[in-house]
Amino acid sequence: MTEVIVAASREEAVDAFGDGEGVTVVAGGTIVMPEITHGRLAPKRALLIGRAGLAGVRSENGRTVIGAGTTLADLEDAVEPLGTCARRVADLEIRGQATLGGNLCAPPGPEGPRGDLQAALLALDAEVRSTGAGGERTEPVADFLASGPEGRLVLDVSFAEPDAAATASVRRPHAHAYTVMRVCAARTGVELRVAVSGAGPQAVRSRAVEQSGDADRVLDDVSPHDDALASAWYRSKVLPVLVRRALDDLENR
Amino acid sequence: MKAVGARLPRYDGVAHVTGRTQYVDDVRIHGTLWCKALRSPHHSALIRSIDTSKAEALPGVHAVVTANDVPHNVYGHLEGLGVPADEPLLAEIDVRWKGQPIAAVAAESEEAAQAAVDAIEIVFEEREPILDIRAAADPGVDHFHQWGAVYPHFGPHNHRRVRKGDIDQAFDEADLIVEGVYRPQAIEHCPMETQVSLAVPEPSGRLVIYSCTQAMYFSMGVVAAHLEWPLNKLKFIGGTVGGGFGGKVDTATETIVSLLALKARRPVKWRYTREEEMLTSSTRAPWHIEIQDAVTNDGWILGRRTLTLHDAGGYARFSPYGVTKHAFHHTGAYTIPNLRFDGFVVFTNRVPTTAMRGFGVTSVSLAVELHMSRVAEQLGIDPLELRLKNANRVGDTTGNRVVMHDPSTVPVVLAAADAAGIELGADYRAMTPERRNGDLLPEHLVGQQAPDGEHLATYRGATNGGR
Amino acid sequence: MRLTVNGVEHDVASPPLATLLHVLREELVVTSPKAGCQQGGCGACTVLVDGEPRRACLTAVAAVDGAEVTTVEGLGEPDALSPVQTAFHEHYAAQCGFCTSGFVMAAEALRTRSNGDLEREEIIEALSGHLCRCTGYVKIVDAVAAS
Repeated sequence: MTEVIVAASREEAVDAFGDGEGVTVVAGGTIVMPEITHGRLAPKRALLIGRAGLAGVRSENGRTVIGAGTTLADLEDAVEPLGTCARRVADLEIRGQATLGGNLCAPPGPEGPRGDLQAALLALDAEVRSTGAGGERTEPVADFLASGPEGRLVLDVSFAEPDAAATASVRRPHAHAYTVMRVCAARTGVELRVAVSGAGPQAVRSRAVEQSGDADRVLDDVSPHDDALASAWYRSKVLPVLVRRALDDLENR
Repeated sequence: MKAVGARLPRYDGVAHVTGRTQYVDDVRIHGTLWCKALRSPHHSALIRSIDTSKAEALPGVHAVVTANDVPHNVYGHLEGLGVPADEPLLAEIDVRWKGQPIAAVAAESEEAAQAAVDAIEIVFEEREPILDIRAAADPGVDHFHQWGAVYPHFGPHNHRRVRKGDIDQAFDEADLIVEGVYRPQAIEHCPMETQVSLAVPEPSGRLVIYSCTQAMYFSMGVVAAHLEWPLNKLKFIGGTVGGGFGGKVDTATETIVSLLALKARRPVKWRYTREEEMLTSSTRAPWHIEIQDAVTNDGWILGRRTLTLHDAGGYARFSPYGVTKHAFHHTGAYTIPNLRFDGFVVFTNRVPTTAMRGFGVTSVSLAVELHMSRVAEQLGIDPLELRLKNANRVGDTTGNRVVMHDPSTVPVVLAAADAAGIELGADYRAMTPERRNGDLLPEHLVGQQAPDGEHLATYRGATNGGR
Repeated sequence: MRLTVNGVEHDVASPPLATLLHVLREELVVTSPKAGCQQGGCGACTVLVDGEPRRACLTAVAAVDGAEVTTVEGLGEPDALSPVQTAFHEHYAAQCGFCTSGFVMAAEALRTRSNGDLEREEIIEALSGHLCRCTGYVKIVDAVAAS
């Protein structure tokens, strides 16, 4: 029998989450609910955070802070490349429920990558504030992804607006298509940040491209895979093209 | 006839827009149990043993059925048309496609039904799957089907054949042979409403079945045959289909829910999940079509050889019928006097295939049109002019000797050229479908032409014989 | 838990993680939203939750406890159709009708939040999460434009 907690405040959510042991977080539900409905996931403890006051966008010390419960619909006009990435997820009904936190923590799907916003947050050099075992901590999004979202409840994400940003992607032409691959690039001062999603289970930064400026070097940092959306071969052919487009676009801004 | 040409409202339109149309899953009968099926996880395997006792003992489970519960397990959908039966309702000896149903459970909830399915103990012995129709009939292949690699009941043959005229002579006389291979792939019907039916036992001993079938009387016959019941013990309620497109003729759920309803003495509903629909419901078949045309430099198609392999999947279902329709249309909208067509229904370990809009015909139409354009390209002739020259005309006969009385090829091609802004030569622009004569009646087309003025459906004298 | 569905308040007995779709169809016998895929991919289950179009199959009922839900049944009657319903009927926007409830709710929400004429691109964008296997979509877009 599943214990269900509907958190009415941030404190209640943090408290109920504890160290995350045996807790399934339900935010927008767009990823988790089908798993539950089809019997693939039977949570011991389900923590519903849609009413826990975790949504909202604000400014703080020159940085944008976005609550984990903020819907993708409310991010469509966010700082680039986050705005474009949010706008391209599914359709408006899904975006009206899906949250930034859920997207960031999305495990790779069986049929294709998820977590379209991961690359945007990497390119923005965002920081993730989360709670879990050991309490609250703030870390770069790359570290958050590397150590795994399991066992952490994301509270908010923050970043400074870059000087310029660009994004290029390959998508199939209908609303339900997960993005096959996306490159997000951003520049702050002389620092270039380039991130790739769809060429592995999570989005990653491409240091090789950042350091060399050479789009082909992106293959040093990713191991493309076969899945229902595209083959590894296709990904390795197309990805450098996306990187080139994103870099060219960035140069013109 | 005041309806002809009038713009009439759909009789079901108001119900649709007010959400009042009642689909099978909207029917509410008190006490309805949910059905889930045990499906083969293997493409091809022998069933060594099956034990449903643990499943039957689970809470909320009212009935479990296997092949043993089916009075007449192997029934052919087209037995009435001479196609012998090969497919069991519930698998007994072996499984021939991934997803084939082996057992079914009726329980108080979907979760309880699925838990019972998961508790059925079954032992398989896997076999090497056969998945490529081109290799299925290779020598040395140990084929799973009791009839061998191909369906053998096309009269005395193991393929559908069309023979007309003298194909060898046509190929000898040709200036050029144009070859092509065309492989249209499977298509899933993907109706918005998944397969669903609800069987309700009545105190009188009758069964009422709410069904999404496209073919109520047909499905009624299938259920009656499996149950060995007279038709008057069944009442089908349906005709409201949430999209079928040919995929809701197979009677996928009706018999199984009937068996469960009779065993449980409760109404039973089986609604496919979208995964079941995508993975296990029948699809349009993949085809492999090889065409060789014997052509002249000035654009006459003297003869055509066609080899078609149709992927029936694990069982025959309607495939022989599909290949037959395909054979009728293998010359397309064009008149070709010398023909050799061989169409095979090939068994593989794929999901059994079925009808889908234009069953059997869309595949050969695709192949024929691509091939006509290939012929035009290799001859250096305009692709539309090639079609107009070889187009069906009044009095022409098809491959199976059906007489053309009102063929539309010429006006349609001309209208298409016009709409697309394509310029054609003056001779071609002036063409009509009228009976061939003069330059449009070369010697090689004389034998296939039916006598003038006779209202024949078929003309047996059209280039009779053939090898 | 409580839900107000088409203006009528109901106590909800289903488990908190039951989907809104399950509660509507199985508990409250409001059957216009359909189980097309139960994974948010088709739009046949779309209803309005506090006026916003949402996939009922992705919504845990506990997450919308106390909300106002509107389904097709709450829009109009056969002899008093809403403008969107009338347009769908007059423009032959439904064939088998299975996707129609979802499209109508999405179209109602679009009409409510927009003022005046709608561009076809806007309509297509708003309805892009809804699948139809029968009509080819053109008449659906025509209907919404005319509604």
